[in-house]
Amino acid sequence: MSVKMQQPPQLADERTLSSRAAVGTVFGLEMRQRLRGRAWYVMLAVWFVVIGAVFLLATATMGTITGIGAVLFDLVVGFVLFFGLLVAPGLSANAVNGDRAAGTLAILQVTLLTPGQLLAGKWLASWVGSLAFLLLSAPFIFWALALGGVPASEAFVSLGMLALELGLVCAIGVGVSSIANRPLFSIVATYMLVALLALGTLITFGLSTALVLEEAEVTTSYYNHTEPMPAVGPDGELPAVDPSKCVTETIRQPVPHTERITWLLAANPFVVVADAVPYARSGSGDFAYVAGGTRPPGVMESISQQVRTLQAGPDLEVTCEESLGEPRDVGRGSPIWPLGLVLQSLLAGGLLLLGYRRLRTPAGRLAQGTRIA
Amino acid sequence: MTNEFGGIVVHAAARSFGSVQAVRHIDFEAPPGEVTALIGPNGSGKTTLLLILASLLAVDSGSVRVGGIDPVADPQGVRRLVGWMPDSLGRWDSLSALEVLTTTGALYGMRPEERTARAHELLETVSLTEYTRQPARVLSRGQQQRLSLARALIHNPQVLLLDEPASGLDPGSRVDLRTLLRTLAAAGKTVVVSSHVLSELDEIADRAVFISRGESVRSQTLDEAGNQVRRYNIQAEPMSALAAELSGHGMRFEERGDSRRLEYQVMLDSTQQAAWLLRTLVLADVAVTAFAPAGGALEETYMSLDTDRR
Repeated sequence: MSVKMQQPPQLADERTLSSRAAVGTVFGLEMRQRLRGRAWYVMLAVWFVVIGAVFLLATATMGTITGIGAVLFDLVVGFVLFFGLLVAPGLSANAVNGDRAAGTLAILQVTLLTPGQLLAGKWLASWVGSLAFLLLSAPFIFWALALGGVPASEAFVSLGMLALELGLVCAIGVGVSSIANRPLFSIVATYMLVALLALGTLITFGLSTALVLEEAEVTTSYYNHTEPMPAVGPDGELPAVDPSKCVTETIRQPVPHTERITWLLAANPFVVVADAVPYARSGSGDFAYVAGGTRPPGVMESISQQVRTLQAGPDLEVTCEESLGEPRDVGRGSPIWPLGLVLQSLLAGGLLLLGYRRLRTPAGRLAQGTRIA
Repeated sequence: MTNEFGGIVVHAAARSFGSVQAVRHIDFEAPPGEVTALIGPNGSGKTTLLLILASLLAVDSGSVRVGGIDPVADPQGVRRLVGWMPDSLGRWDSLSALEVLTTTGALYGMRPEERTARAHELLETVSLTEYTRQPARVLSRGQQQRLSLARALIHNPQVLLLDEPASGLDPGSRVDLRTLLRTLAAAGKTVVVSSHVLSELDEIADRAVFISRGESVRSQTLDEAGNQVRRYNIQAEPMSALAAELSGHGMRFEERGDSRRLEYQVMLDSTQQAAWLLRTLVLADVAVTAFAPAGGALEETYMSLDTDRR
């Protein structure tokens, strides 16, 4: 062993760590470990196969429907979001406490790295890790696009919103992982939080409708045909309705004021993605955006429609057309997705803030069972 | 001895975790240019004290100065000065030995060319050059330990905190470690070593601080330790002649039961007394075959302290 103790050219007290270098180093460290492991590639392969299978199956079963491109596109976006919500916690929710368990967190903490830089680097790495999954599903998204009926803008907005949602879920995961001690617990907790957003909002919304029931005068119109209508008219067409037979009556009944609780649904990732997409489809020219019109709306599109209907509140004046099943025209209403992003960001930000406080050193109070090193 | 520009001064430090008082009252000084040993039984608070010095834990009360800086007020300032080698073997499995060092160097704000040069230099110092490009997971425990030491040294720290650095090292590496630590101390660094392999610290440390149940119970230099009352083991052929001679000088002795061969143990006040006894025995024609201190100087202090070893 030769011991050379020459003084390095740079003096120790002159050294500073820029935020960019710090975040970059943590990011590089995380990515290097991920790229050299096998787990991530296996997950990517499984992902590709599953999305591919869903896509091919959908193409096979719905190949005859007009505007198949749009429907397929919606389906792929919905599935990518669903699987993304499953993958992102796995990539992010052991970022910090996994290091703690491996004994490498303290080694980072004892350097000039600040907790904020550590969290930023970890979050960025898990986000980029999950964006790879999005990238892998892009072929199917663009395939659906190529089948026609979907404007490119819609595809890019969808992809952007998917990326944003993955980033938010990763932020939640990293936040939880810096609060909880055990990786297993934080991964489960993150899944619970994601489930709370995706399903919990629906359940809460459903249960809350009872709380917003109020008596109101509802005007209902319907066609009152005295003689039985023939199933099919003489010329083979559906019998025309007689506008003069439209009768109107007003009754008092309890109606749910859903417009007061629709914000609950805004936090739902599916609602955020579905609602942000501008549905102005006129691909083959023979249909425009008319609900229930010439083309069945896709999964995501109907989510958006339903949310906007709920947002508009109860229909206090049902017209005769609506009574025949024609949906009420509520227009596009006001977008609800910005509110959703704000709610989700508040959750993620709050968790990251708590995590930041847990990572600050020299540590004051420690949670039960925490070991620094 | 220790001024505000170097070394470590801890006064009346206390730290508890919930209801567990890990550190009750520790006074501790480590001057620059010397190796200070931190000695105590398991769970006595050694690691907690080192975490406090490494600016990872805050004290509940008391004052801490590392290189004149308060770690709570200016953790970044302390971190520039301190290299810390933890007792746990944390490692990034998939990174090569070189990457482990350069990554750590980057986080200390070292420039790329500077940290790479320093990493190669340190890999040579700890004899790991053949593992430069190998992933850290292929390293054995002792090699990991050496890599961990190199990591603590990457930014050429003024203060070195080593938590059980010798555990897992083969005899050759222990000698290397000793040489390295002496070299660092000679270069004016403050070196703190915690260990319970006491015979080793005898040769490395200049001074020792004994810790028991979270309190610093004794602080002494190795010279002081060498001049205290010590036990000596003596063997002779035949043992009866030795027993007669010892009794003749009114010395109390006892048979040592934990050895393979029969030997007598006596308490001697100083090295002078030991020299006198040996000369007396030899002149009395007792065939002395072994005459040696029962343990290291630090071990003697350790055993004499009223500590409970649980």
